Amino acid sequence: MGKTPHLSKISKSLLLAGFSLVLITGAVLIGQRSASAQENLQTTPIHPSFSFLDADGVNVLDSGQPVSTMNTCGACHDTGFIVEHSYHASVGFNDLTSPGTTVTERSWDISPGLFGSWNSIVYRYLSPQEDNRIDLTTPDWIRLYGLRHVGGGPAVYGINGQLLSELPYSPKSLETNTLNTETGKLERWDWKESGLVEMNCFLCHTPNPNNAARAAALQSGAFQWANTATLLGSNIVYTSSDRYSWNPDAFNENDEIDPAVLQIQDPTNLNCGLCHGLVHDDVEDPLITLGCSPERWSTITTGQIVSPQKMADSGMNLAGKETLDRAWDVHAERLLNCVDCHYSINNPLFYQESEATKPDYLLFDPRRVEIGEYLEKPLHQFARGNSAQSAAATELNNTMRTCESCHVVDSTHAWLPYLDSHLEALSCESCHIPQLFSSANMVHDWTVLLANESPRKECRGTEGDEDTMGTLLVGYEPVLIPSPDKDGNLKLAPHNLVTTYYWEYGDPPRPVPFRDLQAAYFENGEYHPGVLMRFDQNGDGDLAKDEMVIDTQAKEEFIRARLARQGLSNPRITAEIQPYSINHDVASGEWALDDCTACHSENSRITQPIKLASTAPGAVLPTFVSGTERKLTGKITVDEEGAVYYDPAPATENLYIFGHANLAWLDMIGLGLFGTTVIGVFTHAGLRLYFGSRREETEKATERVYMYGSYERLWHWLQTSAIVLLLLTGLVIHRPDTFIFLDFKNMVLVHNIIAGILAANAFLALFYHLASGEIKQYIPKPRGFFDRTITQAIYYLQGIFKGDQHPFEKTPEKKLNPLQQVTYFGLLNVLLPLQGIIGILMWGVQRWPSLANALGGLPFLAPVHTILAWLFASFIVLHVYLTTTGHTVISSLEAMITGWEEMET
Amino acid sequence: MKASKFSWLLVIILGAGLIIIPLVIFLPGAEKPLSRDPWDNVPLRIPHTDHSDIIQGPFETGTEVTQACLDCHEDAASEVMATVHWTWESQPYQLEDRDNTVTVGKKNAINNFCIGIQGNWPGCTSCHAGYGWEDANFDFNQEEGVDCLVCHDNTGTYVKGYAGLPVEGVDLLDVARSVAKPTRENCGSCHFNGGGGNAVKHGDLDETLYFPPSHVDIHMGEHDFMCTDCHQTENHNISGRSISVSLDDTNQIYCTDCHSEDLHEDDRINAHVDSVACQSCHIPNAATRDATKMYWDWSTAGSDEIEESLHTYLKIKGSFVYEDNFTPVYHWYNGGVAERYILGDVIDPDQMVSINLPSGNIKDTSAKIFPFKVHLAKQPYDTVNNILLQPKTVGEGGFWEEFDWGLALQLGANITGLDYSGEYGFTETEMYWPTTHMVTAASEALTCNQCHGPEGRMDWEALGYYGDPIDWGGRFQSNSYLP
Repeated sequence: MGKTPHLSKISKSLLLAGFSLVLITGAVLIGQRSASAQENLQTTPIHPSFSFLDADGVNVLDSGQPVSTMNTCGACHDTGFIVEHSYHASVGFNDLTSPGTTVTERSWDISPGLFGSWNSIVYRYLSPQEDNRIDLTTPDWIRLYGLRHVGGGPAVYGINGQLLSELPYSPKSLETNTLNTETGKLERWDWKESGLVEMNCFLCHTPNPNNAARAAALQSGAFQWANTATLLGSNIVYTSSDRYSWNPDAFNENDEIDPAVLQIQDPTNLNCGLCHGLVHDDVEDPLITLGCSPERWSTITTGQIVSPQKMADSGMNLAGKETLDRAWDVHAERLLNCVDCHYSINNPLFYQESEATKPDYLLFDPRRVEIGEYLEKPLHQFARGNSAQSAAATELNNTMRTCESCHVVDSTHAWLPYLDSHLEALSCESCHIPQLFSSANMVHDWTVLLANESPRKECRGTEGDEDTMGTLLVGYEPVLIPSPDKDGNLKLAPHNLVTTYYWEYGDPPRPVPFRDLQAAYFENGEYHPGVLMRFDQNGDGDLAKDEMVIDTQAKEEFIRARLARQGLSNPRITAEIQPYSINHDVASGEWALDDCTACHSENSRITQPIKLASTAPGAVLPTFVSGTERKLTGKITVDEEGAVYYDPAPATENLYIFGHANLAWLDMIGLGLFGTTVIGVFTHAGLRLYFGSRREETEKATERVYMYGSYERLWHWLQTSAIVLLLLTGLVIHRPDTFIFLDFKNMVLVHNIIAGILAANAFLALFYHLASGEIKQYIPKPRGFFDRTITQAIYYLQGIFKGDQHPFEKTPEKKLNPLQQVTYFGLLNVLLPLQGIIGILMWGVQRWPSLANALGGLPFLAPVHTILAWLFASFIVLHVYLTTTGHTVISSLEAMITGWEEMET
Repeated sequence: MKASKFSWLLVIILGAGLIIIPLVIFLPGAEKPLSRDPWDNVPLRIPHTDHSDIIQGPFETGTEVTQACLDCHEDAASEVMATVHWTWESQPYQLEDRDNTVTVGKKNAINNFCIGIQGNWPGCTSCHAGYGWEDANFDFNQEEGVDCLVCHDNTGTYVKGYAGLPVEGVDLLDVARSVAKPTRENCGSCHFNGGGGNAVKHGDLDETLYFPPSHVDIHMGEHDFMCTDCHQTENHNISGRSISVSLDDTNQIYCTDCHSEDLHEDDRINAHVDSVACQSCHIPNAATRDATKMYWDWSTAGSDEIEESLHTYLKIKGSFVYEDNFTPVYHWYNGGVAERYILGDVIDPDQMVSINLPSGNIKDTSAKIFPFKVHLAKQPYDTVNNILLQPKTVGEGGFWEEFDWGLALQLGANITGLDYSGEYGFTETEMYWPTTHMVTAASEALTCNQCHGPEGRMDWEALGYYGDPIDWGGRFQSNSYLP
């Protein structure tokens, strides 16, 4: 930019002051404007008219040269500052490093951004300078990836900071050469002729940028015309036989552009959507995408569609469409724009100091840059979250406000039990993006090339024929992966996983360049006969889409040999998985996941596997790309049909999910204990009946004794019903799948309330027993205790069958025999309090999480609670049975009801 | 049994109960809040008494049937005669911009369709709930003149013709024996055909409502409502009101008669109900199926040059534009009219003449944004006296017979008593027709960006806002600045 005329600071300030004045007058004028409704609220009609300047600062009407955005917009705005502070421009250019040292750990990546980091879906990569086999040079990169690059950065400057157009030619330099794909040789790239791609202001700040013309200009290598091409179709510039000519009629008498012809505006969703995914702003016009081809780059990775339109009103073949009475994205429906959340981080309207740096005594810091200052130097660094797929400009991660910055959580989630526990474990998106309704990519298999030289692809979320109107879009449920939130805490968050299979070669490894892959499969534009022979399964002489997959050793060996013959050392199949974060297509409460059993059940969403691929080419299992900051501790598994899955493993994240995380072996032990007790009881009862029938019944004298006082009875029965209900509700919480007809949510509440009753009852009883001294009934006398216990045990094992007398007389003063004493003592003074305390800890896990965690957390406490519950259940069976050993079968029961027991004298 | 020592307690409880329970039951409580369940407010349909064995013929004329009805339903005719279905005129009403009270009704009003009934009685009164209104001398006190059958016929064969008399071929005995509660057909035969044919006038009332799909009318489609389920009737006084002819909103029906106002789950939507009428969102488009008349140019009438076609040109009426499924016009509306053109009012022929401009503006807290069909017309006026004229169209010397504007307007002026100079021209007029029927399902209601944002359908500045209230704040919000 050496030659570009720079306005002095003073005149610039004057201009801005004038501009601010225009702003204010404009605002007043708008207020006075009458009936004429503003067509487009996004537009800024008060943007002044301005001259189109070329790279030399001359009006394009005079020079006929391409417009230079740097000079044109730079007349008022500090375009140099803007480009320098824009990761959209730099795309990793500022973080270039030596191959293999980026966070992605790919050995050929030289930056964390688009310029230098491999996009496995597109497959092509910017070759490191030292490589022998080249895929893309800098000019090649612009021609291919320039479509997703706003210009500036690597499209203007060389690695050493010189303008690309001023770089000295070097035959080996990847910056001054292009690769001739026919010969595989580098050829000189004439930067002077192609020009540079300046950062394209029009792409984001005009209502209808011609992105297709821009892309065509870039692809053709006419870099300097790319920004001009963006204006094609707007009446400002025409093209005929590859020449661009400016239309003087679009300019006013001062040769400035008429604001009515070119509106300068804040970026709309449509502007962002040009690169970032499918945006459909029209509510009425049905949105249509076919089958497995959701348009636009980012949408194919997740299926996210930003549109206010109701799904039911779209033109797509969605499963259950008539019921999908919701917008694709609730925020789009509520008229939020991309830039409302992804704002420029020095925009005084939006900027808020982060909690981390703000002093504790401040809620809000009102100091901010002046509007004029901002308009001169708007940072083009936009607030953002922390996506798995984006490793560039990480210093901006989590600059965006979070869901909770705008939304109140507590009052709207009052229905959700254990809110804090849920919020600690789950991102908002986990429930509020329960499903993607469109399709998304699953596999890009670059180990093969289809007839149109594209990779084999697999999609998720579709049924039936692919890529036609007939494809039924069933959508998919994203996989929940522990991801760091703003504070670095891991929370489950929805992701799509896209797997890329590809050939790599050499050491350090590189993906096989596309042209080598082409050469392996094709010969003179046709499939090589060897390929046809091996891949044509149905023998029709044609290779259909589904035949193109390396599923046998023979195919793999053949392609490997073909690649090796081209001089690629040790070609082998490998595969990587790229997680993609899902944060858009948010649903309002009504559509959010609010079914407890979606997670609290055997087939929990938390552990729901996600399919990675239907087949594993070359039997290779993919591995995750590094540097995603996601905790990917699950397993990659292959089912019997050869499909590859990722099984998340949240258990390793210290998550205990009630109703799902039950330990099967523990339940088996518990059930065994319970079953043994039941069998034992029935055997014993059977034996008693058998011996009793052979024994002569002797009439025994009896008397009625007042055995249990009214309070004792009340206490007993309250305790009985509480424990039985606790066991039942606990069972439902433990195994909601078995009791699908009972409401999980209410069970937790009922369980907690009953537990409270039980605890109160126990405390009162303790007080009673202590105060009345009745407690001594439960305390075994140490002396001779064992003898007495054994005597009692022998009675139950022998004497009872013979009709012997009870060894110890039951009296109101001494109701319990030694065996009972020890059992009840254990039960009421050890088991019950223990179970209660554990229960309280589990209940209080969100109030005092540190306490519960210190004692092993839910993953330890919950299983203990379970096994204790089994013990209680077994005890009840035994206890009920033993009540039948009194004078008559029901005399003890009667006593506990009426207080009076028939006793043998 | 020995009396328990607690028996005194029992006495106290019983005694207190005797006092308190009747108090609770009989004391006037606070007004019962509207039930959350709209079905609680829908009247039960009581099966109607079968009249087929009660009514004995034979009947020669409609009035004979009415007499038979009055044998049992003694008050029925006098009840009907107190309603506008009979009188075709309002109670005296004081409009803000007038010195004296006015009574306006079909009887004397002017509109921008067929213009007025005076002098055209036999044609227009085929929809009068009476028999024989053929000229200004009709006796409004004659009980036998009430037409019971037009509302109570359940055969669907009863048809009225000249001056409201049954047309030839109607089997009056059969019709009389069928009488029951009014069906959609009873109401629809007149109200769906206002303006001389199906769907002409209202834009929200047409023959699709005989068997509407759910998305055309949720109440009559999905829920099988009859007109009278909402237009509830006591003593033959049918509720409901429209500023196309009425001046106020007494006896009006509101959505909130059944639905609670804050029933939306979303507070954002509930925040709208103070400023936006239910109809605005829940009737996204008017005339969803059958096209309705949007423009009527009388000035081209009488030409033989223009090809006739029901929906574009008729020699007797002039040129038309019909539209279906259109976005209504939104206007502040508090239930009344701000301006009502009454015969004899002086106009400015260079300005659009509002015949019934809805009352209300952004500063009127009782007004809400309401959807209207706006019907434009070019109709005759006196170029000297600057008053709208009412031609005689029907009958001898009428325009439809002679195609002579001068004659028709003179004859009309003779009847209405207007001061006609003999010079006439055509001027543009507008009429507002509230869009309130054809409520769609909730899922079809307007969403945020159909009104707000760049694609929105509202003309915020015309409504009195500085700009889109989603950015500028609504009129009850603290950041709201109204012009």
